[in-house]
Amino acid sequence: MTLLLLLLLQNPHARLEGRVPTAALPGLDSLIAQAVAESLPTEPLVQKALEGGAKGIPVARLVNGVRHGLVQLRDARAIVSRSAPARAALDGDVAAVAAALARGLDPGLIERLLSADTEPPGPVLHAAADLVAHRFPADSAAELLRAAQQQGLHGTRLLDVAVAASHELQREGGRTPTEALARVRAMLPNIPVATPPHPRTVTRRPGRGS
Amino acid sequence: MTAIDPRVQEALDGERDPTTLPAELREAYARLTAAAALLREPPATSVAERVMAQIRREGPAPRPRANWLLRPVTFRLRPVWTLAVAAAAAAVVFLPFKESATPGAEEGVAQFVGHFPGARSVEVVGSFNDWQRGALALRDEDHDGIWHGAVVLPAGQHEYMFVVDGERWVADPLAGRYVDDGFGAGQQNALLIVRP
Repeated sequence: MTLLLLLLLQNPHARLEGRVPTAALPGLDSLIAQAVAESLPTEPLVQKALEGGAKGIPVARLVNGVRHGLVQLRDARAIVSRSAPARAALDGDVAAVAAALARGLDPGLIERLLSADTEPPGPVLHAAADLVAHRFPADSAAELLRAAQQQGLHGTRLLDVAVAASHELQREGGRTPTEALARVRAMLPNIPVATPPHPRTVTRRPGRGS
Repeated sequence: MTAIDPRVQEALDGERDPTTLPAELREAYARLTAAAALLREPPATSVAERVMAQIRREGPAPRPRANWLLRPVTFRLRPVWTLAVAAAAAAVVFLPFKESATPGAEEGVAQFVGHFPGARSVEVVGSFNDWQRGALALRDEDHDGIWHGAVVLPAGQHEYMFVVDGERWVADPLAGRYVDDGFGAGQQNALLIVRP
């Protein structure tokens, strides 16, 4: 049963059949085949196609959306390769960088953040994207995150840094982004930890394809 | 209530010598003085206090011997109760337990809340369930329009949307993070980052 599930997961065509319009399948198969040929991760493309199918996106726009995803993966792999030329680009890193590009993060900034860090890039890229989304200057945001890493904050703790900065920005009396970033930098490494939710009823993750 | 003669009251208050009262009032004064003295006395020991005092004097009851574990015990049960006990035992043994909702080391709890007054249904559809409809429905038990639910998800990034009444796709207004869905209509997915 597990083997069957694994085989199914490895076969994007089988996962897309019945979930996207039949007319979109040849175009999607072609894009996924290109990703395989270029050793790019295919899961983000399959997810984008499933999303388009679920949303009822017209065929042309659906295929274009997946094509756009393939372009982002190529760009992401180039960024990963430039930032760490000595090691092979991992699928997870490429997907994380593609997600950061989709969030509108500047490629140069991504490359700078990756060069300064040897950890999986997802959290630091999301923290940077959060800061930029709150209108903090990209360079200052990157400097703050670098300072946080040097003070021992890593992984999802970097997201707390972004949260602290946005809280400082929203404080009564009003702080400029520069003042807010300076305030958070002074707090390092004692940044408050986000409280996890404690809902009354928690269900298990609905399984893929369930 | 009978009014107290003002001269008796003066005597009770110490403002008049009681011996100067007329004879008929001196008797009333004496009764009132006796009643006041009675009220000042501590109450007599109650029956319950006497019983408890006796128990304390006798000391604690001797401890039962520990061999009760080895002693056979006889239960008397009506047949109707044996059926009920059997049914309860069967329920414990055979009914499936609800799956544990404790997140693992690489998982976290994601909580979803949305305000959709008048909605008949709200569900969450996203990359964590292959964008499959019907996998995660939110609840609004008190019909106040606030729909909520929580689920254990793998740590990491997940894109999702609410589907209201089975047809309206809405990006979670409380998500805080959004990403363009890439299909060219400017629609955004909510972005969730689950911490382990």
